Amino acid sequence: MEVLINGQPYTVADEPVRPLLYVLRDELGLTGTKFGCGAGICGACTVHINGVATRSCQTMITTLAGAHITTIEGLAEGERLHPVQQAFLELQVPQCGWCMSGQMMTAAALLANNPNPTHDEMIAAMRYNYCRCGAYARIARAVRRAAELIKEGAA
Amino acid sequence: MKRDARTQRWRMTRRGFLIGLGIVGGGLALGATLGLPAARLALADLLGDGTGPPASFPKEPAIWFAIQPNGRVVMAMPKVEMGQGVHTALAQLAAEELGIAWEQISVTQSSSIGPVRDPAGTSASYSMMGLFPIIRETAATLREMLRAAGAEQLGIAQAEIEQGFVIDPANPARRIGFGELAAQPREWQAPEEAAPLTPPDRWRIIGQPVSRLDLPAKVRGAAIYGYDARVEGMLYGAVARPPRLGAKLRRAAPGTALERRGVVQVVIRDGVAGVVAESRLTAYAALNDLDLEWELPPPFTHHDLEERLAAQARSGTPIQQHGDPAAAMHSARLVEAVYQTPLAAHANLEPQAALVDVQPDRVRAWVSTQSPVQVAESIAATLGRPADTVEVTPTYLGGGFGRKLLITAANEAAILSAAVGKPVHVGWTRTEEFRHSYLRPPTYAAFRAALDAQGNIIALEQRHASGSVLFDFIPAPLRWLLGSDFGAWRGARLVYAIPNLLVTSQTVELPVPTGPWRGLGLLANVFAVESFIDELAHAAGSDPLEFRLRHLPESELGQRFRATLLAVAEMAGWGQPAPAGRARGIACSVDMNTVAAHIAEVGYEGDKLRVYRVWAAVDPGLAINPDGLAAQTEGGIMMGLSATLFEQVTISEGRIDAGNFDRYPLLTIADAPEVAVQILRSGDQPFGGGEPPMGPIAAAVANAVFALTGERKRRLPIA
Repeated sequence: MEVLINGQPYTVADEPVRPLLYVLRDELGLTGTKFGCGAGICGACTVHINGVATRSCQTMITTLAGAHITTIEGLAEGERLHPVQQAFLELQVPQCGWCMSGQMMTAAALLANNPNPTHDEMIAAMRYNYCRCGAYARIARAVRRAAELIKEGAA
Repeated sequence: MKRDARTQRWRMTRRGFLIGLGIVGGGLALGATLGLPAARLALADLLGDGTGPPASFPKEPAIWFAIQPNGRVVMAMPKVEMGQGVHTALAQLAAEELGIAWEQISVTQSSSIGPVRDPAGTSASYSMMGLFPIIRETAATLREMLRAAGAEQLGIAQAEIEQGFVIDPANPARRIGFGELAAQPREWQAPEEAAPLTPPDRWRIIGQPVSRLDLPAKVRGAAIYGYDARVEGMLYGAVARPPRLGAKLRRAAPGTALERRGVVQVVIRDGVAGVVAESRLTAYAALNDLDLEWELPPPFTHHDLEERLAAQARSGTPIQQHGDPAAAMHSARLVEAVYQTPLAAHANLEPQAALVDVQPDRVRAWVSTQSPVQVAESIAATLGRPADTVEVTPTYLGGGFGRKLLITAANEAAILSAAVGKPVHVGWTRTEEFRHSYLRPPTYAAFRAALDAQGNIIALEQRHASGSVLFDFIPAPLRWLLGSDFGAWRGARLVYAIPNLLVTSQTVELPVPTGPWRGLGLLANVFAVESFIDELAHAAGSDPLEFRLRHLPESELGQRFRATLLAVAEMAGWGQPAPAGRARGIACSVDMNTVAAHIAEVGYEGDKLRVYRVWAAVDPGLAINPDGLAAQTEGGIMMGLSATLFEQVTISEGRIDAGNFDRYPLLTIADAPEVAVQILRSGDQPFGGGEPPMGPIAAAVANAVFALTGERKRRLPIA
């Protein structure tokens, strides 16, 4: 079967049935998407499927024929970082970094749908992504900063 | 030991520097060792601080630089990057003393065999403190060597150094770059006298909030961790886990595993039953096909562990003692309390992982570990091979927190790789990580104290007990010598001037593997001590801040505590009322000589405890990278708060109940307070950074809850 990942077509086996996360990491070498819990709780494996932030550990590859998948490797446009990545870098958000692909993918999906979220809307979107290093205060600031960068970019 | 070409030509100079010449892409390299006197000094300091000695001291170069012909300086990192920003901060020290621009330095991770070996590992918040003098001295020596060579080349007696160039002060257009100098054939000599260090008032890079070197890769998802390690031709492994803690494999057979498509081999060896397969999912699925029989030890629960601690707490070893508390305790107002903390998990979001390639004559491994040298020794012992044939390269770590010192997955991958003759990756599942890792041990602390008529503490006794933290990591004779586990009682000694004082600690053997968790005993012990001090303040009718200030000693450390407490009080407006329905609590600690004070502001939403704000003042001596230290403080507070409010590992029938985050939820951004951090400077030396700033958080929150409700929380978690 064929899937579109970061704009590229990939042919992958549809048997055995397995989560997208393992296809990305172990078959295609896209290790930017992380394994954290395998149960859809921690958010480290978040990718975009047709623009929607989705847990790749809970999404079977067989459901994705023709879907547009974006991973952290496809968030930037070449050298140019996505505003969320810019903001996370500018505010020095990541510590160990393991959860950060998921954090940034969740934030990017939020801002794509709601470019100017309230604090409560931001919390509602980000609250299912664990950060064990505890970078939450900076994550909150960086999502706000990314919204500003998007606005500046659009102006 | 077999060394690679880069380090073959080390030679020792009189002052203990090791110099290698003209060997790195035409560049120059310089390394340094810690001399024995320095090692002894470090040992004494550490024991005095209650933190204990590192496992060993480096005999090989501890520092290593290479200057490339283009003028870039590559620094070999002895320490691993697990999010604490250590690569950046150590590079700051080097760039400062080398006299180069910050942009001219880059870092490369050392492996277990070099360019620099670090037998001590990255732990105990010791990296900055331990390496601050030696990196600067080595870098300054290299700078002076370059200065002398450049001056000779320019035909002048005195040359200046600026941004990686040796410059003629009479004519600054006459200059020669470090890269060009390093590339020239030359008989380099280390100067016999100590190179002068840049005085603090001329620091350009130390003390600056420079951007972390590891973050550009991390925001792109390009940083490689142990779980991500991949090589051509690799396979995936999985190992069967016992149904109960401590169970042993009695009998194992492949069962139907080999019939499953994608299974390469079943490996049964040394009490391990594992599967090697073409994919991780297949390897794990095939574990269910194995035919296994386990020998089960008696079942137990976490309550049994707590009872053991309580029963043995009175027979501990003194860790702080003066005066005669037993005598003083009779004559005055007595306060007694018992504090307890539970087993807790590290919950590092990257589970342990290793890729190991066992070849006939050597072993290469890529491991998410804080201790590459120890992991290499462990792999060698597992395989029965000489230690110097094993090279472990540490990757970035997806969280360390003390969990990634010993890596069982590396030994498992080694056994499986040796059996199949191909590289094998073992990456644990979340369930394995929860049920088969070492844990933060439970603690128990029974206090008694006496107040005099003026409300001053005249006697205090603490009977502390804990499961082991570092005892499993150190040799038996040293355990016997020490009596109790210095990791377990980290944070349990009191800083206050109390005329009659006794603190004892008992290390209790438990049927659960326990070990270091961020800060070792710090969070649990400061929770107990600083909550009890708060109880005494209230019993004395004193303001908790004033009570602490009044009991601090007149020592330099006491003065640093005062300054830190007053700073946090100022930040939070201590003394002014909290917003309606909220209250504040204060607590303080010292760890690895870094003083921290927190104020937490709490309230209830319905019956749910909320921590709205935390103010933190931290005195680390000198912050090499203040933004990095602020990040460690914010993060430590969040992790500590998670443990304070929610975290507890429970055990039923000898099995850990939580197999995933559904049964062990962590703090989320929805529960995260606003955090304000102020970094203080009390000198020109850095102390610990990764763990100490979190010390007071549990006590600050519990004390705030008491201030709000009158209910004293003596047991974690408290939400």
